[in-house]
Amino acid sequence: MVKVHSSEKILSCAKVGVKGVVSHFKDEHVACRLISMGLVPGCTIEILHKAPFGGGWYVKSDSLHIAMRSEEACCIVLR
Amino acid sequence: MESERKPTRVALIGNPNCGKTSLFNFITGLQQKVGNFPGVTVDIKSAETKLPDSNKVSWVDFPGLYNLYPTSRDEKMVVQSLLDTKDNYHPDLICYVADVTKLEKHLLLLDQLRDMQIPLILVLNMIDLAQKEHLEINAVLLAQKLRIPVVSVSGRSGEGIEHLFDAIKEQIERVKEPNPIENSEYKFSEAELEIIGQLELVFPSFSAYKRLLMAHHAPWLPFISASDRIHLLSILGENSFKSLPFQVREVTQRYNFFTPLVSSVLKKKRKEGFTFSEKLDGLLTNRILGLIVFLGVMTFLFQSLYIWAEWPMTLIEGGFSSLSNYLSSHLPEGWFNQFLTEGLIAGLAGILVFIPQIALLFFLISILEEIGYMSRAAFLFDRIMQIFGLNGRSMVALISGGACAIPAIMSTRTISSWKERLITILITPFISCSARIPVYTVLIGLVIPSKTVGYIFNLQGLAFLGLYLLGIFAALLSGLLLKWWIKSDEPSFLLLELPDYKLPVWRNVGLTVWEKVKTFTLEAGKIILIISIVLWFLANNGPSLKIEAANKEAKRVSIEKQLSPLEADNLSKAYLLEASYAGILGKTIEPVIRPLGFDWKIGIALLTSFAAREVFVGTMATIYSLGQNDDELTLRERLAVEKNPETGKPRYDLATGISLLLFYVFAMQCMSTLAVVKRETKSWKWPIIQFLGMTIIAYISSFIAYQVLQ
Repeated sequence: MVKVHSSEKILSCAKVGVKGVVSHFKDEHVACRLISMGLVPGCTIEILHKAPFGGGWYVKSDSLHIAMRSEEACCIVLR
Repeated sequence: MESERKPTRVALIGNPNCGKTSLFNFITGLQQKVGNFPGVTVDIKSAETKLPDSNKVSWVDFPGLYNLYPTSRDEKMVVQSLLDTKDNYHPDLICYVADVTKLEKHLLLLDQLRDMQIPLILVLNMIDLAQKEHLEINAVLLAQKLRIPVVSVSGRSGEGIEHLFDAIKEQIERVKEPNPIENSEYKFSEAELEIIGQLELVFPSFSAYKRLLMAHHAPWLPFISASDRIHLLSILGENSFKSLPFQVREVTQRYNFFTPLVSSVLKKKRKEGFTFSEKLDGLLTNRILGLIVFLGVMTFLFQSLYIWAEWPMTLIEGGFSSLSNYLSSHLPEGWFNQFLTEGLIAGLAGILVFIPQIALLFFLISILEEIGYMSRAAFLFDRIMQIFGLNGRSMVALISGGACAIPAIMSTRTISSWKERLITILITPFISCSARIPVYTVLIGLVIPSKTVGYIFNLQGLAFLGLYLLGIFAALLSGLLLKWWIKSDEPSFLLLELPDYKLPVWRNVGLTVWEKVKTFTLEAGKIILIISIVLWFLANNGPSLKIEAANKEAKRVSIEKQLSPLEADNLSKAYLLEASYAGILGKTIEPVIRPLGFDWKIGIALLTSFAAREVFVGTMATIYSLGQNDDELTLRERLAVEKNPETGKPRYDLATGISLLLFYVFAMQCMSTLAVVKRETKSWKWPIIQFLGMTIIAYISSFIAYQVLQ
C-alpha cells in the first residue's frame, strides 16, 4: 500500500489555496479514517487555511471541511 | 399487562455533527439521565418516554462515530454495545441519523449497520436546512433502494417528528419477527470469506459481517470468553489476518455502492464560490486575526465568569448566612444548632456557591459549541497544546481555570482523547483561581514593599503577576511530564470535521447548563458536603478537658486585660480553635511544616483552607482574635506585628511570606476540585495522584524558598 515516488505530490507540500485531486493515501490508518469521513480517492481537495505556530491544515472537499495535522496531511497524495 | 412490557431500546447513532443530540434533546427534554459505560469514563445519555401510541421507548444517545472501526474510547463503546447482545445499552432498534445536506458523506456507517442484524430506520435530519438550500430528496426511492424505512425530520424545530414515531411503532411491531438478515450489497473479498467461514465455529449465531467485526476487534473486545478468544486469535494467526488493509478495502467498496445511489435520489444545486462559513473562517481561522478573535472571545468569557458570577455568588452566600443566623438565634442553643448552622448550611452554601460559575461557563461554552466555533479554536491551538500533551480544546479549560478550576475541569468532556483530557484535568488546578486572590492580597501586602520599580511598575503588582505566571508555568511543565508518563493506546490525531456555522439551538444550551449543574450538585456535591462537615467538626470540637481549660484561660485573660465583650468573644474563639481537633492537628503537623517557615497557626489555616482557599484569611483572623467583620487590611496589620518567639524578628518576614505564597500557588488545597476530578475520572486514583503530586511540588518549592531566603 505504501508507495514512494519522488514525483509524488503530497498535500502537506502544497500551499494555501492549492486545489487538487486525491490519488491515494500513504498510511492505511489515516486512509480508513479519511475515507470514512468522506474524503475518498478521486475527490477534489482544496487547502483553505493553515493554523499558526506551524500547526495543522484546514482543507475542503465538496461540502466537507476537515482540520488535520501535518502528519496526516503528509499521507495524502495528489494526482 | 401491555404497559408492563419492557421499553424498546432505541439508539440514536450517526456521524459527529449529524444533529443527533439536538434530536435526542427535542424528544426527551428534561427526562434525560447521564449514565456511563461500566468501567470507563464515557458518559452516555438515555431517557425513557412514551410514544403517542403509549409504546414505551428507552432512548440512548450514543457518541458520534464515522465507521465501525473505532479509534477513541467513545467510539469503541458504541461498537461494543452493538456487538454484545447482553450489553446494557444494546439497542433493539437503531435510528440512524444523517445530515441530509451531507448525505453522500453520512451513509457509510449506515451501510455497515445494515449488516448488524439490528432493525434500522434512516432519519434524514436537518430537513429545514435542505429546503433552504433547495435540496430535493426522494425519500421513497431511497427507502426502496436501501430496503429500510426512511423519515425526514428536523431536530432543531421538531418538524416531522411524528413520522419518526410512526416508523418506530411499525418497527416495534415487526421486531417480534426474527432478526433481519444482512441487508447491504457489500461483497466480501475471498480472504474475508475465508475468515468468516472459519469463525462460524466460534460465533455460530452471528451474521457474516458481525463475525468479520469480531475478527477486527478481537484484541480489545471485553465480552469474548477466554476460550473463544484463544480460538479466534489462533484462526486469525493462521490466516495472517491484517485488519487495516481489510478496513480500507471495505469502506472503499461501500462508498462505491452508495455514491451513485445518493446522486440518484438527491438533487443538489451546485454552488459556486465560497459559502458563508468559509468566508467567516477566512477571519476566524486566520493565523493572525483568528488568534485575536480567540483572545477577545476568551477575555469575554473570563470576564463574565469573574464579574457576572460575582453577584449571584454573593447573593447565595448572603442568603445562606442570613438563614444560618436566623436559625442560630431562633433554635435552642447547643450542639445541634451549631451543626445545622455552621456545619450543614455552610457546607450546602459551599456547594451552591459554585453554581453561578458553572452555569455561566457552560452557557457560554455551549453557545460557542453550538455555533461551531469550538472546533475552530481546537484547530488553531492544536499544535502548541500538543507539545504539552494537551488538546486544542484544553485552551478553554485552562483559561476558565483562572476563574475556578471546577467548571473548567467539567468542560473537558468534549476532549475525545482520554489521555489529553486527563492531562488537562490534572494540570488545570495549577492555574491561579479567584479563591487564591484574597490569600495573595494579604501575603503580598505583608511581605512585598509597595514601591515603584522601572518607573512604572509597582513591585506588589509584579509579584501578583509573577504568581500567576508561576501557576501557568507549573501547569505546562506538568503537562510535559504527564505526557511522557501516562501511557495511552489511542493513536493521537486531529482529523476534526469543521461543521458549518449555525445559530444555536437554545434548548440544547439550556439542557447542557441544566445537566452540568445537576451532576455537580448531586455527585460532586455529596463529597463536598461530607468533607465540609468533617472540617467543621474538627474546627469546632476538641477533647473536653482542653476545651474547658481554653474557656477558663480565655475568661481569665479577658478579665485581666479588661477586654470589651466583643474582644473577649474574639479571644475565646481563638483559644477554642487552638484547643480543637483542628488546632491539635495543626500543632501535630508543625514539625513537618517548620522547615517551610510555618508555625502551628499557619498549619491550622492550611487545614481549614481545604474547604476553600480563601478560608485561609478567615481562619487567620480567628486565630489572631480578630472579628469576622474585619477586613484583609486589619489582618495584614495584625500579622505584621506578630513576632517569632524564638528569634524576636517578625513572624511573617520575606522568607515565610514567599514560602507561603508558593505553597498557595502549587498545593492542591481544594476539596471541591478533588470531588469534581473524582466525578470526571470515575475513580479516586487520579484525585489522589493529583493531590499528592501538587502538594509535594508545593512542599519542595516552599522548602527551597524558605531555606534560601531565611
